[in-house]
Amino acid sequence: MKRNAIAFWGFALLFLAAILLSAQFVANEYWFFAGYVILQFIVLSVAWSILGGYAGYVNFGTSAFFGVGVYTAVFLVSAIGAPLALQIAVAAIVGAVMGFAVGLLTLRMQGIFFSIATIAVTIVVETTVTNWRSLGGAAGIQIQRPPVTAPFHSYVQMLVFVQALLVVLSVAISRYIQNSWIGRGLQALRDDELAAECTGVPTLRLKMTACVISGALMCAAGAPGAMYLQYADPASAFNLNYSVSVLAMALIGGTAHWIGPVIGAILLGVTQQLLTVTISSEVNVLVLGVMLVLFVVGAPEGIIGLFRKGRRSEGKA
Amino acid sequence: MKRRTFLGAAITGIGVSLIGKAGADQPPIKIGMSMPLTGGLAGGGKPSLLGIEIWRDDINAKGGMLGRKVELVVYDDKSSASETPALYSKLLDIDKVDLLFAPYATVPTAPIMPLVKQRGMVLIGNFSFQVNSKIHHDMWFNNAPWGPADAWASAFLDIGQKAGGKTVALLTADQEFAQNLAKTAREVAGKRNLPIVFDQAYPPNTVEFSSIIRALSAAKPDIVYVASYPPDSAGILRAVNEIGVGDNVKLFGGGMVGLQFGPVMAKMGSLLNGVVNFNTWLPEPGMYYDGTKAFFEEYSKRAVAAKVDPLGFYLAPFGYASGQLIAAAVKATNSLDQKAIAKYLHENEVKTIVGPIAFSADGERKETATLQAQFQGIVDNNIDQFKKPGKQVILFPEKLKSGNLITPFEAARK
Repeated sequence: MKRNAIAFWGFALLFLAAILLSAQFVANEYWFFAGYVILQFIVLSVAWSILGGYAGYVNFGTSAFFGVGVYTAVFLVSAIGAPLALQIAVAAIVGAVMGFAVGLLTLRMQGIFFSIATIAVTIVVETTVTNWRSLGGAAGIQIQRPPVTAPFHSYVQMLVFVQALLVVLSVAISRYIQNSWIGRGLQALRDDELAAECTGVPTLRLKMTACVISGALMCAAGAPGAMYLQYADPASAFNLNYSVSVLAMALIGGTAHWIGPVIGAILLGVTQQLLTVTISSEVNVLVLGVMLVLFVVGAPEGIIGLFRKGRRSEGKA
Repeated sequence: MKRRTFLGAAITGIGVSLIGKAGADQPPIKIGMSMPLTGGLAGGGKPSLLGIEIWRDDINAKGGMLGRKVELVVYDDKSSASETPALYSKLLDIDKVDLLFAPYATVPTAPIMPLVKQRGMVLIGNFSFQVNSKIHHDMWFNNAPWGPADAWASAFLDIGQKAGGKTVALLTADQEFAQNLAKTAREVAGKRNLPIVFDQAYPPNTVEFSSIIRALSAAKPDIVYVASYPPDSAGILRAVNEIGVGDNVKLFGGGMVGLQFGPVMAKMGSLLNGVVNFNTWLPEPGMYYDGTKAFFEEYSKRAVAAKVDPLGFYLAPFGYASGQLIAAAVKATNSLDQKAIAKYLHENEVKTIVGPIAFSADGERKETATLQAQFQGIVDNNIDQFKKPGKQVILFPEKLKSGNLITPFEAARK
């Protein structure tokens, strides 16, 4: 266990150092633009998996949390010119509060009904922002980046590093949850909520914790998006594609282990980026759909499940 | 003799192939862009791209620019703002394009403005609305005929006031383009002391408008300014047809998107009669410039295969004009130097198939060339009628006027 932790943190530090170094040596900005999108999807799918994977509450409201993150940052920039760190911190707090509210939904709704309610949350939040004139309303709002600080040469490089920090943070939290009593409790309530409650698992408290953490991380992942685009409009910020892609990434990667959504996000994120610039987007969406169907039918536990199966059969042989 | 002929032919052949090779050795000039080819804006993105492709083929047939062929590098941005920064960074850093065109519409264009400004690249805009007002990129040139921000509302309200209108109603979709129009309409109405008696924004995806139209007609406005998107434009006209908007209304329309697209117009048929709406190009006398007719002949042929709007009045000729703008600047400056191209476009008027284009300092047109035209004598189920003059008579700008306003609105509908 301890050796695992050292390996994990060692790898995390190596990853951050690599990003920091690449900012010094890679002049081509495209890699940062594309990398940012992939890192953002890793945070989102890891955060999604905390509630959707461990607890089994399928959340279709990723785009609501992401969009609120974007608009929290927009609000802070246009109101007080807040720095990036403050934008992310406040977005995380707003996300936690929103996660708490979504958590309250689980009191009465389970399964498909919870999922439908989270779609409703997206629509409610999007409509609110669409009618919020000082945030640009339906017309969208342009914001300007402040000058970049050393050691970065461009703002996008800095955003990639910030998003990489969020990746490490979200994966560390997800890993902690999985290995602690919280993860075991969530797993119990995913298998049978009533039985878990009867055996003394504090299901409500656990669900709330999962919702709050998941919400906070999703909003935090959205916050740098405002500065990445320097523009926000409700249709793009609350795009249902975020919900669908993130769900597909987590399911394809596998939700039983924290590494699952990371693998899924890297695999699908890279595929999407490649397809967008090689073939057309129609094919892109088609590939996502076909992959999702194939995995749901052929490997319901995702890539992780396939690996485990492979190992088990090796063990038997 | 025979051998000699053979030798001569061989030498000539090698010579020709060498000359050909010298031409081919010149790398093509790459023009990069993203275009909404899927998603909500695809209906506009596809004909716009077809217009640009026709220009590319025309210019390549004439030998290209600076003796080099022109090649387009196009990616699909899915109509989303979040896709374009990475795509334009790829165009600049990986594909190393020489020139940039913007995607169709405001939303995908807005996020690339800072990047393009930072890299000092000329950007030929494609129908976005006031996207440079905050960024102030001095190498931005919008191909759209919008002109100054308030020109659109001014033109429409002018026509309304001349027809005796004293009050205004605003009916607008809660979406980017419609809200931008509504904002300027409120300002212009305020300046002219035209009271706004009804101001309603409706959510996107609204399909049933009868209650909204009833409320609107109860306010008894003289001028009804509608800023809507294709599905709602149809819904609004259907509701108006069923319920009516009252005899007060002298002018109806203004900013209804969708009523420029062939399939939508054919479907709406006689419901369009009386509506005064914006447009960018119409087959009216005075709208034909050098190359316009040839362009539409080519477009009609290729539109069928490309499965896009068979009329293509709204966007396609402006895509072609984007190419003409850049070609004129490259030819005159004899270089691909971005600063020189920008300087040329700021200082010179360029003749295009949609008329002469001159830019003001902010990269928008010096003068608005946005048309306001009234649908007259439209019958049902006939798309070819829109190719004839007299079906959409131009009321604004004055110099292109091709008919008179029929008013009040209810009379024009008969």
